[in-house]
Amino acid sequence: MIAKKVLLVGNFGVGKTSLIRRFVLNEFSEDYISTIGVRVSTKVVSCNDEKIKLLIWDVAGTKDDEKVPKAYFLGASAAMYVFDLSREETYLNLQNQLQVIKDLSGLQKMVLVGNKKDLLTAQEIDEVKNKIPLQIDLITSAKEDENVEDAFTQLAKQTLK
Amino acid sequence: MKKTTVDNVNDNRFEQLKELLLFDDRKDFDALKSEILEQEKLKQKVSPFIDEKVEDLKDNFPKYFGENITEAIKVQIKESQDDVVEALYPIMGKLVKKFIVSEITKLSDSINETINNKFSIKHIIQRLFKGKTTDAEDVLQEVFEAVIEEVFVIEKDSGLLVGNFSRGTIADKDMISGMLTAIKSFVEDAFSKEGQDLEDIKFETFQLSIQNFKSIYIATATSGIIKQDFKDILYDKINNLAEIILRDRSFLKDEAKLNTLIIENLIINFDK
Repeated sequence: MIAKKVLLVGNFGVGKTSLIRRFVLNEFSEDYISTIGVRVSTKVVSCNDEKIKLLIWDVAGTKDDEKVPKAYFLGASAAMYVFDLSREETYLNLQNQLQVIKDLSGLQKMVLVGNKKDLLTAQEIDEVKNKIPLQIDLITSAKEDENVEDAFTQLAKQTLK
Repeated sequence: MKKTTVDNVNDNRFEQLKELLLFDDRKDFDALKSEILEQEKLKQKVSPFIDEKVEDLKDNFPKYFGENITEAIKVQIKESQDDVVEALYPIMGKLVKKFIVSEITKLSDSINETINNKFSIKHIIQRLFKGKTTDAEDVLQEVFEAVIEEVFVIEKDSGLLVGNFSRGTIADKDMISGMLTAIKSFVEDAFSKEGQDLEDIKFETFQLSIQNFKSIYIATATSGIIKQDFKDILYDKINNLAEIILRDRSFLKDEAKLNTLIIENLIINFDK
């Protein structure tokens, strides 16, 4: 079994931790996120007939004014950027934020996920999609366990590319 | 002596007088008598029921009054904390004392054993050739011998675990190595000047030592008293281990092979 480091990034309160909770059971206390700005969880996923142990680094906040050690982004094989579909400020400056993470991690591609689907109607989700100039890979709801597994499977696939 | 007519008359009068004077008292006496007799009857009738109730109360006392008593005790404790502490103090004191006495006895046995060994011919000869260490240091060193509990060989940037040795049962070693890397990065970023690395973390009876190399770092958790001699030997052994790993990179891709190498080069040497 191979092990890969993956990143989970996005603004505060977009539901990154909720997505991880849905996906993994084994996790460190949430206090680590507020103390050192990161928490590591593990999960084994099957992808292309191969078992991959994902080391998921849940990184708190990626704004310029928030000081997150650059080392957190090093050595990652894939990254998932999560934004909140119901809060515009979490996806308004998406391109810039993705570029910051790409620069820090050296990754070329990222899985883009819009979370909290349960708070919007289908029409409202379409409106959000139209506002975002990038292709959203998955629309998820950690609360209702919708597309969470798919999002992480896509992330695992990215690690093999 | 035979009674006269006059006497009889006197007697009758006396009886009449008694009747008049004691009438009310006799009436009260009769009333009391019947009341007492009634109570006796009532007692006989009620007694079995009372016995039954008392038995029921004995059996179900906690059920009927447990909640109220608990509440009352809580209130009492809250309102008179000082009194409660005063009452519990001797009991707690005895327990603590018992625990300390037991631990000191263990320690004393262990020290006695070590001292006995120290005065053996073999150790007396060894003492003639020893360095600057005192007897106290030697005894403490032997009682609380330093033991390597865990070894983690971790990829520097990603925090991925490439090999390890563990005496305990750590549930998820990959997660531990990830978090250790995160904490290391955080500390280095927050407190260190450029080029400086986190080297030691101490917690209770453990000391975590970190040695950094180009693409990996090796973390060892050691318990017991760690003397400088032990530390120096450990650093040397870790340097040798890292040298072998970095010269032959196949160790980084084969966890089982690396784990054997750790045991052979680090653990066996110290356990001997």
